[in-house]
Amino acid sequence: MKSWLDRLRDPSERTLGVILLSPAFALLALIVVYPIGKLFYNSFFDMRLSGGQGSKWIGWQNYADMIKDGAFWDATWNTVLITLITVPGALVVGLALALLANLPFKRQWPVRLALLLPWALPLAFAGLIWAWFFHTEYGFINDVWVRMGGEPRMWLLSPVSAFAAICIAIIWKSSSFMALILLAGLQMIPKSLYEAAEVDGASRWQQFWQITVPMLMPSIVVALIFRTITALQTFDIPYTMTKGGPGNATETLAMYIHKTTIDYLDVGFGSTLAVGMFVLSMILTAAYLRHISRQESA
Amino acid sequence: MAGVEIRQIVKRFGDVEVIHGINLDIRDGEFVVFVGPSGCGKSTLLRMIAGLESTTGGDILIGDTRVNELPPRARDIAMVFQDYALYPHKSVFENMAFGLRLRKTPEADIQARVKEAAAILRIDHLLERKPRQLSGGQRQRVAMGRSIVRNPKCFLFDEPLSNLDAQLRNEMRTEIKKLHARLGKTIIYVTHDQVEAMTLADRIAVLSGGRVMQYATPDEIYHRPAAKFVAGFTGSPAMNFLRGTLAAGAERFDAGTVQIVLPKSLSSAARARVGQAVELGIRPEDIAIAGDLQNYATATVAASVVVLEPLGAETLVTLRIGEQEVVCRTRPDVSAQPGQTVEARLRLDKLHLFDATNGVALRS
Repeated sequence: MKSWLDRLRDPSERTLGVILLSPAFALLALIVVYPIGKLFYNSFFDMRLSGGQGSKWIGWQNYADMIKDGAFWDATWNTVLITLITVPGALVVGLALALLANLPFKRQWPVRLALLLPWALPLAFAGLIWAWFFHTEYGFINDVWVRMGGEPRMWLLSPVSAFAAICIAIIWKSSSFMALILLAGLQMIPKSLYEAAEVDGASRWQQFWQITVPMLMPSIVVALIFRTITALQTFDIPYTMTKGGPGNATETLAMYIHKTTIDYLDVGFGSTLAVGMFVLSMILTAAYLRHISRQESA
Repeated sequence: MAGVEIRQIVKRFGDVEVIHGINLDIRDGEFVVFVGPSGCGKSTLLRMIAGLESTTGGDILIGDTRVNELPPRARDIAMVFQDYALYPHKSVFENMAFGLRLRKTPEADIQARVKEAAAILRIDHLLERKPRQLSGGQRQRVAMGRSIVRNPKCFLFDEPLSNLDAQLRNEMRTEIKKLHARLGKTIIYVTHDQVEAMTLADRIAVLSGGRVMQYATPDEIYHRPAAKFVAGFTGSPAMNFLRGTLAAGAERFDAGTVQIVLPKSLSSAARARVGQAVELGIRPEDIAIAGDLQNYATATVAASVVVLEPLGAETLVTLRIGEQEVVCRTRPDVSAQPGQTVEARLRLDKLHLFDATNGVALRS
């Protein structure tokens, strides 16, 4: 029997593979497996940093509390609603932008730059820009609104208009990314397909539905899934625009987790909420991976 | 059914003129091939007929209708693309039916026409497949099927065989020829392959630098080329050219020590060029070193054998005549050896003379 030292000196292909992969495994374990494992572990404790009485094992109690917690369901509903509005919204706007950027402009770079700009901005910065847009006294929106004969409105202080303002800001910010993926997809479609369709008798509109959309479908699905996963994690824009207000009207799940953990220092319950969000994201990621593998096998 | 007429067609991309006033008359039911090297404008010309490129000047008529301003779909043409341009997300059936569906053809009619075209092209067992599940040859058939079902006035083929391997190319060439015989429709076919042009065409338009160098039957293109470019482009191996001058009242061609007395018809056509540089053209099969061409009037010149290339059915022999080399096509059992001096006989009635500066054929 060879000792492990001998095997290390003269490794088989399999052993060599394990040796070469182990640094990557170790790094992944440190930055992915450990934090997630610790999150699950913490969720079974009553761990309030404000009380000073240390942590106490309470089993599934946090999960029972979460299910009974109205604020959790409100935040989840807000998150799902933001996802349902902004993902299709960003798809439509992104597709329009991608089609625009795909036109044969003489100079491509100004168009591409304009397309990329919202994507390149930090999320919090985008939130602040839009908070100013909707500002009651100094905002651009109220300025236009008043010029058109309306009364100045406190957009970010009414639940419905604050929610709408946040959705607009998110769509503005995220449609760049959509457009980028869709533009790459558009450029993969051979020009000769459009020429063939033109000779076959298809109008521009028919070409869009019969060639562009089906050929773009793989890119659309990828963009939608990516965007959905990030939409579920929405935090920065509502945080900078409304801080979740008025009341809890625009509070998302990520904000509720942040508030519970950082503001209230309730690490145990905060971890439980985070596990809930993690599971939601994993379900979508699994759906995404399944779609990819199905496409590869097709 | 309709012919196609091209009158003074000009095409400019920005400041660059790529087609310089081309005139062509394509008769109803005729198979016309545009042939020429890359960049000669043949594909651009075809795309202008299709309506995929605008025209800068001139008129295009399909049937009796001027179509310059009509979009492709209103021209009643069908086109087969070099990369087939099949819709990857549609089945073979739906690819072929697409044009009919857009024209709101009744479903029963669509079924009948697609199946008939599929049967003609022997792809009826592939109708449910997607293009990516097909071989190159099958895709080519589907692309042709898609154009057949529409029953257009005119078919346009843009280098349809260039993505296929040599054997399949020969096979599909025959298929296309059969298809033309069966449908009897006008076909305009673009290729850079002179073999395709010679075998398929009723008439060939040889293009170079955005101009038609000659528009004639394959036989005439081969035997009576209007320019050195046409002569050099057709035939494999290409025509041989000897550079020299006209002497003795254009009755003699001199190339250094080599002298060839020209036949009357040629010398009378070239009389105005006495003393000027010309090129004498002769095809490889019109030069003999063994006992061939005994029954023809020939000019005999001394030559040395440079290299032999046996091809099985024939042997190509490179000869040095004076300072220049020519290729001669001979019987496979030729006994010549490299380095050997032989007598090369040039068929006098097959000699061609070209102006050395502009390449135009000198003929009576």
